[in-house]
Amino acid sequence: MTKLVNIPLESYRLAQYVVQCPCYVCGEGNTFDAEQCRHCSAPMALVHQANSQDVHPRMLAAVGAQGVGKTVFLGMLLDMLSRHSHDMHALVRGAFSLNLQQTTVAALARCEFPPQTSSDPNRWNWVHAQVQSPRERKPIELVMPDVAGEALAHELDHPTSYLAIHSLLSKSSGALVLIDAVKLQRGLPEQDYFTTKLLSYLHELDSDLGPWSRRPLALVFTKADECERCFEDPAGFARRHAPRLWEQCRTRFPRYSFFASGVAGTCAYRYSPGYGHRHVPLRIEPRGIVEPFAWLLEQARN
Amino acid sequence: MPVYTNKVRYLNLASGLSLAGLGLYDNSVLLFNAGVLGAGYALMRMAGFGRRVVYSAKPVEGPHCEPCTGDDDLPAIARAADATDVGQLIDEMLSQDRYALLLRAQISGNLTAVQRQRARAALERSMCLAPEGEVSLLPVELIVGDDPDPRLVEKRSRTIWVEGYFLDRHLVTNRDYYRFVAAGGYEQMPLWEQEAWPAIMDLVDQSGRPGPRFWRAGRYERGEDHLPVVGVSWYEAAAYARWVGKRLPTDAEWVKTSTWPVAGAGGAATQRKFPWGDAPDRQKANLWGSGFGGLIEVDELPEGSSVNGVRQMIGNVWEWTSDDMHAADDPSRAAGGPRQLHFKSLRGGAFDTYFDSHATSQFQSGDWPLARKHNIGFRCAVGLCDVNVPARPATEVEVPEEVCV
Repeated sequence: MTKLVNIPLESYRLAQYVVQCPCYVCGEGNTFDAEQCRHCSAPMALVHQANSQDVHPRMLAAVGAQGVGKTVFLGMLLDMLSRHSHDMHALVRGAFSLNLQQTTVAALARCEFPPQTSSDPNRWNWVHAQVQSPRERKPIELVMPDVAGEALAHELDHPTSYLAIHSLLSKSSGALVLIDAVKLQRGLPEQDYFTTKLLSYLHELDSDLGPWSRRPLALVFTKADECERCFEDPAGFARRHAPRLWEQCRTRFPRYSFFASGVAGTCAYRYSPGYGHRHVPLRIEPRGIVEPFAWLLEQARN
Repeated sequence: MPVYTNKVRYLNLASGLSLAGLGLYDNSVLLFNAGVLGAGYALMRMAGFGRRVVYSAKPVEGPHCEPCTGDDDLPAIARAADATDVGQLIDEMLSQDRYALLLRAQISGNLTAVQRQRARAALERSMCLAPEGEVSLLPVELIVGDDPDPRLVEKRSRTIWVEGYFLDRHLVTNRDYYRFVAAGGYEQMPLWEQEAWPAIMDLVDQSGRPGPRFWRAGRYERGEDHLPVVGVSWYEAAAYARWVGKRLPTDAEWVKTSTWPVAGAGGAATQRKFPWGDAPDRQKANLWGSGFGGLIEVDELPEGSSVNGVRQMIGNVWEWTSDDMHAADDPSRAAGGPRQLHFKSLRGGAFDTYFDSHATSQFQSGDWPLARKHNIGFRCAVGLCDVNVPARPATEVEVPEEVCV
């Protein structure tokens, strides 16, 4: 038996799919209801926020080798800024922007480090925040992703293999380059080579923002709490322990500065049944987290 | 051969057990005898603060032995010391806040009643009494974990019996510590753990003189008299404590003062999470976000005191205790897998401690005993049985005003 029903004709909705929605990061087209860019995996919420609120956030990159502490640095930075204890403070935009902060802070409060960031771009945490600086009347809109060090290393060896990283670094107004101070102090050269390679990559990049040599670089020695002298003279530490990096900065990037940062007062290996020995912080006392960011923002403004 | 000035003194105490010999010579540097430190040691000769240490290998054996100085006239000169000089020595020790040393049972019997009263008054003014009793210590995993199973807490907590003790009301300040430095504390080897002897030459300030890491030219910055001393290793803290006749508190003593256990009806004790109660309050402690942004003077924030009046147990600086914190080392440092290390225990949190959960009465952190960090200080303790104090309550001690220091 056949039954007749009235179905409203909504084919006009298909028209929305015809208009491509460009990703804020890579600029490639996506459908209007896509959650993540199908090309670079950046959240499409960035585009919708930019369109609906008529703001066009700047991008800042926080990059470094695997295990250098990018997630901890960015998570702590956002948490510290969101607690309004500094002249500078931040309000995140969109629920997705809170994931990084939440994951990091929850782990550190338990005296654990957050899990390593996956090299799968779908699982990266992106942050869109509104940062109010004391020197600016209007807040600055910023986008900062937490990219995996492993993926960055792959991109350096095979340029454009990670479109998100390539696009991010092309469009960033400046970069926080994180370097493991403990490994450098132990005389392991891999951090020096990796960062030198990264700076060479940046130097070759070009975009509407001009060459990277005109953009500011904040070179941050992480885990400096385990080598206290790094706090006293970060530039001297770079000269002594990372000569290649020091020379690269001096000759190719006129706008750079060295910083030291630490989040854990002391670290140790703790044995937990079922987990074995885990590297854990014994207390959390952030130092030198906001300063490089504030410097970078100030430089990027000019 | 040292050149003695006319200020050579030899104080022969009647008990003759512990503090066998106190010699004042040259720049009034006070020498200790092996007895008070509990071990035979080399008698040092010092030409004054800031000069290199020269010491003999011959141990001092008792009050009547001849000091190993090579100066045959010394005992005779020492015996000639009169009561006035002894009084001056005691005055000097009291002015250096070394009352606990004078109140040692072996020594206090040789003090006059007035001297004893002054020492007791100083003790009661500067230290807080904690009664004997049990205290439970929790492992870190249960303190920072999410709602631990009460059965697990009961199973994994350690209940420890603690004898009565005094704990410093305030953290040790720069001014307190300066007295130790100025008296040549870094050159009095018997004050130091033997394992630290090779490291003592490295325990210098910014200008290379003996002292805390952040001092300069053997002094702290002007206006920082009442800030807690920081940049001192565990060994420096322990040496200072010995010099004043005290010791570092044990973990159990520290936690007991801060948690102040009260036995319940069923025998289970109730312990506070913070000295002031069970809720975190950044207005009662100097932590990250409290608004101070750095060290504060040791007598501030009285509202955050423990029940018996000990200030700033939470916040301002981490405090060394005498116990070890066991942690496994970084396996990448040691071939053949992780090895056990002995971090020294830290308690209480500091001005830059970020999480409330890391600044509780139970939270334990740790660091290398030679770590000299910007946010680690200490306070001292002394056992009730180690000092000669009257059984009556402290408030009943009458001290003539004219002799108060």
